[in-house]
Amino acid sequence: MMKKLLLLLVPALLAFQAMAMDLHQAKSMGYLGEQNDGYLGLVKANDEARAIMDEVNAKRRAHYQKIAAQNQISTDDVAKLAAEKAIRAADKGEWIQDAKGNWLRK
Amino acid sequence: MKKFLCCAAAISALLLGACTPTVKIEPPDKPIVINLNVKIEHEIKIKVDKELDALLANDELF
Repeated sequence: MMKKLLLLLVPALLAFQAMAMDLHQAKSMGYLGEQNDGYLGLVKANDEARAIMDEVNAKRRAHYQKIAAQNQISTDDVAKLAAEKAIRAADKGEWIQDAKGNWLRK
Repeated sequence: MKKFLCCAAAISALLLGACTPTVKIEPPDKPIVINLNVKIEHEIKIKVDKELDALLANDELF
């Protein structure tokens, strides 16, 4: 009985934890930071954060490509402009990349 | 008398010539280039800027 309950509870708890982290928590917890190229980077190794990063970066890329195509400029240029904004908009304590690619805490 | 008239005409012509203001129009030595690229790039930058602002407002992405 106890074992059965545990079997039910553990995955439920894990699922809850998996649901618990979102992009903003991953950032404020120091797992993810804003790179200087307009995409998220993994500052501290964490599988969950990595999954969020990959998903968000793919979405970002799609948006950058759309804006780039509409204005006939390169996706990289759009991404770099986005990086400037994202780094400026980052909250204090979050990780950002400097021009050389070093992580530093804002 | 004729000689005198000739002289006077020549002198007055010289004097008049000296009074004529000379306006020189010199073409610039370099070709005049009006760069429209700057303006277009600037406009695109503003447009992209606005679109990115909208993108950054998306909590799922930033």
